[in-house]
This record gives sequence, structure tokens and C-alpha cells, in this order.
Amino acid sequence: MSDATSTVFVVDDDDAVRRALTRLIRSAGYCVESFGSAHEFLECRPRFEGCACLVLDVGLPDINGLELQNELNAGHRSLPIIFITGDSDIATTVRAMKAGATDFLAKPVSDSDLLPAIANALRVSSQALSSRVELDGIHGRMARLTPREREVLALLVEGRPNKQVACKLGIAEKTIKIHRAHVMEKMEAHSLVDLVRVIDKVCTRLAPGQSAAR
Amino acid sequence: MTTFSAAAAAILVILLIFLQFKRTRTSELALVAPIDADSSLQRYNNYAFAVPDEAVGMGRTTEAPPDQTNARQRAGLRPPRLSGRRIVHAPLAMFSRGRFRRTSVDNESQPCHVKLRTESPDGSRADAQQLRHDERSGGTLDLLPLAILVTNPQGTILFANAAVEKLFGYSREELVGVVASELVPALLLNASGAHSPCADLALGGREPEGHRDLVARRRDGTEFPAEVTINSVSWESVTCTLTIVIDRTERYELLRNRQQLAHLTRVSTLGELAGSLAHELNQPLTAILSNAQAAQRFLATEPVNLTEVREILHDLVDDTRRASEVIRKIRSLVKRGDLEVAPLSIASVIRDVALLVHSDAIVRGIHLRVAVTPDLPPVHGDKVQLQQVVLNLLLNAFDALASCSALNREVAIAVTLEGGDTIRVAVRDSGAGLIGETFDKLFLPFITSKRDGLGLGLSISRSIVETHGGCIWARNNEDKGATFYFTLPTGERAGRSFPRGQP
Repeated sequence: MSDATSTVFVVDDDDAVRRALTRLIRSAGYCVESFGSAHEFLECRPRFEGCACLVLDVGLPDINGLELQNELNAGHRSLPIIFITGDSDIATTVRAMKAGATDFLAKPVSDSDLLPAIANALRVSSQALSSRVELDGIHGRMARLTPREREVLALLVEGRPNKQVACKLGIAEKTIKIHRAHVMEKMEAHSLVDLVRVIDKVCTRLAPGQSAAR
Repeated sequence: MTTFSAAAAAILVILLIFLQFKRTRTSELALVAPIDADSSLQRYNNYAFAVPDEAVGMGRTTEAPPDQTNARQRAGLRPPRLSGRRIVHAPLAMFSRGRFRRTSVDNESQPCHVKLRTESPDGSRADAQQLRHDERSGGTLDLLPLAILVTNPQGTILFANAAVEKLFGYSREELVGVVASELVPALLLNASGAHSPCADLALGGREPEGHRDLVARRRDGTEFPAEVTINSVSWESVTCTLTIVIDRTERYELLRNRQQLAHLTRVSTLGELAGSLAHELNQPLTAILSNAQAAQRFLATEPVNLTEVREILHDLVDDTRRASEVIRKIRSLVKRGDLEVAPLSIASVIRDVALLVHSDAIVRGIHLRVAVTPDLPPVHGDKVQLQQVVLNLLLNAFDALASCSALNREVAIAVTLEGGDTIRVAVRDSGAGLIGETFDKLFLPFITSKRDGLGLGLSISRSIVETHGGCIWARNNEDKGATFYFTLPTGERAGRSFPRGQP
């Protein structure tokens, strides 16, 4: 559960609470970094390898927790957030959860709530991390395709046979076969099904290209 | 307060004029009835001193119904007029009239008075005139709405007017000869023989106006707050004391009502703050729980990290103190109590309130700055009431910032020493400021600019500050927002304005 590469960030303006939370999380074997304000956290923009999560107080004096969440979501690396609050109202909770918080805990928070919440957040983080690594790989491979090969790829994953692709692009079927072989090779796909599954993972990114191809 | 002081002063003036009048009268009379100087002096001394002494020994006597004969005898008891001495004592005799009437019955045990009576022939024309005059003057004192006692240097009552009978429930006959401290227990004799109230007055110091707030006791044993004015009237070697007793029950009812109202507004203010106060308490509880659970975990691992555990225990103590401090502050504000006046630090008053509103400020996105000049002298006052003033001004300032942009929400408290003996507290906001119309009515009760305000906060604050001998006012700032100021006296002046001897 607790591995050295997992980092838990704690942001709370109350010194006593921050120290206590830091200690509790450290006692569970995590590496903890704590900050007294949202500004301090944003300024440091702590870099972390591996998975991480943020234990965030909602009522911060400078930027409140929800605003910090929005700020972090805008960045390209998402960080699972566990909110803790002294006076939880439904509206705030809903907003926080909709914006992707993994948990919303009321102060005083017990270790039996906080530590599983952290474990869960770190799992989310680790999943995000691995899917990110995979996506990065797919994007890297796709970057090697020529524009023509991309067009061919788009039509292939729609399930069209070579003949239709050739007809659509107005080139010879033989040429399509060569492009197809290049696509399979560059995308490191062993079969058409394999290719479709890989592309499916980045389909959101591919969608604009697809429409352009049509 | 001032009306009564003025009334008391007026009575004194009347009395002095009356005595002056008697002086001329008696001088004239002396020509009419010349009597042997030695015997007159002897009789005179009996009058001035023997009567009260004997009266103390006899206790209260009610067995002598006044009748016409006695009145005649009283006329005979007039001391003969001779030189300055009898001039001095003429009024004393007048005040003591009731007493003499009584001695006529007790004459067996008090032969001195019988002798006096026989020495002075009945029906002397001068004495008859004197008697008529005395009757008139006694009547004058009876007409006054204030309870007036005349006592001798030993504190024994020589005369009591009708208002005393009414106020204390004793009849005049019962009162004469009784020690005045029966009526006002705090009124005791000091070494020099003059009355001095040595009640344990909460604040000490001399009352410049010459009146004291003491507790008086009625015949039925019930007590009531009274304002007692004591004036020594001295002629030659004899001093008698005029004591004016004013019933202050109403005033204290008023004071108590005001305190109750202040308590109510404090409670309702705390009600508004309830959310933030819960938060204020929740923070140390959160820290305590997390620290304790961390300690459990550290202790469960081998080897035990004792440094961590030690630090945790240290923090646990601090956090617990913090939580109990919050509770103590809430409790002291909710507490319904009488005024507890003591020397206190204004800085601690402000720190306590700042702690209470800390969370509220955060929730409202307000930056609160507190600047206190170090080493301020203590002020004299009631901590809870002063906290209420600060709390009220702070929450008003917070409210004033509601429509401000989040960047400009700032409230600053500055405490400074002005002119060496006045502490000034300024609560400055950066809101929209006050508009002309509001300005005039700011401190009036039931005037509010808030949608759900009672309009009592500032009016109560004003009455509290004024009770403490300070003043409160507001100004618009030159740039933006408004500042509310209040002052409190320190040192010699501090605490003078408090009503004393509260029941």
C-alpha cells in the first residue's frame, strides 16, 4: 500500500491540524509534504514522480479549496483530491465531488476514514499514471504516421475493407495495402483488432481527425 | 444622578438659609429672655450631648404619645439663648424635639431632663415663638420628598423627616435615638466621630460629588440600594450630620434591565457566530484526534519512535488547551452576570474576541489585522461587556464589507494610548462607509441598516462604554470605509463612573 514513490500533499492553514494530519499520514508510511496555504502549494508546484494525492482543507484563507481544485484541474496533470472540512454543506460537497474529488471528509477526521481514502486516491492516481504512460506511448507511435497513413488508419478502424478505403481516398488498393502494412508496423499492432483497441483508447483525440478525413 | 445631586444641594441650601434665619431670630430672642450664662451652658450641653447618649441606652421608645401638654413642655425645654453657643444649638433643639417629648415620660430614669424642664418656665413668650418657628421648619423638612436624617457625632439620629418614615417603615418616634447605621449598615463612625461610609466599595477612591451608593435596610429587613449624601454641619465645637437618603431601586432595576438586554444581544450575537465557533472548536479536536491516532500507530511499530511520540504528546496538551480556551470564551460571553469590575488588559480583551471571530473572518474572506501598542496601562472594567463592544464593532465591520470585492476586505483594529491616560480603540473597515442620515442615528436604539438587525448593538455598546467612563463615535475614513472609535480611561480616572455598592 505505502510505497516510497507515493506522495501525499497536505494543505491546511491551521498549524496544529496540519502537523497532526502530517504525522498521522506519515505514521501510515507515506511520504508527506505539507503546505500552509493554497498559494504556497501553487508556488512550489511540487513535482512528483509516481502517484500522489492531495489532502485539502476547504476553508483556506487565501484561495479556498474548491478554487485550488479548479486550478489544478486546469493543469494537464490531475491530482486526486481528498477534501476535509469543518463545516460541510451539501452544495460545497456536491461541487467538490463533481469536480472530481475522490473523497469529502468531515473534521475531526479519523484514521479509519482518512487512511483508506488516501489509499483509494493513490490507487486512482496510479491508474491515471499507468493509463497516462500507455496513452503517451500510443501518441508517440501515432506521431510517426504520415498524413496519408493517418487517413488510412482512420478508415481502417471504422472497419472498412481495403477496397472501400481505396475508393474513398481515390487511390489504388495496392497502395492502401502498403499504407496499411506501415500503419500496423508503426502502431506496433499485431492484428486489426489490436489496432482498433489501441486507437479506441485515444479515440477522443482522434475524433477531430476522423471528421477531417471524411 | 445629577438631578438628585442637584436636589440634595438645593435642600442643603434651604437648610442653611433656614439656619441663618434662626441665627438672627435667636439673637433677638436673647434680648427678650436673658438667663444665667452658666446654667444655660449646662442645660445646653445636656441638650447637645446627653440626649443622644441616653437615647442609645434607652433604645427605641414608642410609649410616649405626643399630646398638647408635651408640646407645651417642649417649649419649656428650649435652651436659654446666650451668645454664639445657643445660636448654634437652636436648630439642634428643633431637630431633637421628638426626643425630648419622649424624655418627659422617661423622666424618672433621666432626671437631667426633668430638671431642665423645671428650670425653664413654661409659656415663656420667646420659647413659644421659637416653637412655632420650629414647627414650621420641621414641617418644611417634612414636605421635602427626600429622606433626611440629622445625626449627632456618635451617629445617633436626632431628627428624621416624614420621608424617612415612609422610606424605611419606622415611625419617627422609633427612629430618634437609634444609630443611623441601623438604617444604612455601611454608615459607620470613624475615629474622628464623623460619619463615614466605610462600605467595601468595589472601586475605592473618593466620590467627588459627596454621595455614595450604599445598601439601606427597611424595618421589615428588606434591603434596597440607596444613594446617601452626607454633609457635616459644624458650629463651634459641635458637629452634626445631615444625611440624605435617596431610594435607588429604580435605577438599579434599569441597570439590571440593561445588563439583561446586553446579555441577550451577546447571546444572539454568539448565535450568529455559532457556525464559526463550532469550527473554532473543531480545529483543535481534529488535531487531537489525528495526533492521538498517530501516536497509537507509532507505538504499534518496532522500534517505537519516541521522538515522534514525545512531540505528539506536547502538541496534544497544546491542542487541548486551545479547545478549552474557546469554550471558556464562549461561556464567559454567554454568562449572565452582574458587572464584575476589575483592572484588565484591553489587549487581552481584543485578542479573545479576535480568536472568536477568526473563522468567521475566513469564511467571509476578510483579512483581520490587530495592532496593539505594547505595555498599555490596564483599564478598569467588566471584561465580558468590553468584549461585547469589541465583538459588536468587529461584526459590524465584517458586515460592512459584505458588498466589497474580495481583494479589499480588510478590517484593522488599532489600540493606542492617547494623552497619557486614555486608551483608544479604533475598528476600521474598508467598506462603503456611513451615509449622512445613518450618522446621526448610529447609536440610537432600534435603528439599523441591516436587514435582520435588531438595532441594539451600537446603542448597547455606547451604554457600556459610557458606563466605563469612555465615549464612542464613528468617522468615515478619508479613502474608503468607516472607523468606529471608543475610548476608556486608565489610571486615576479609571473606574470612577461605575455605580457603587450594587445589590
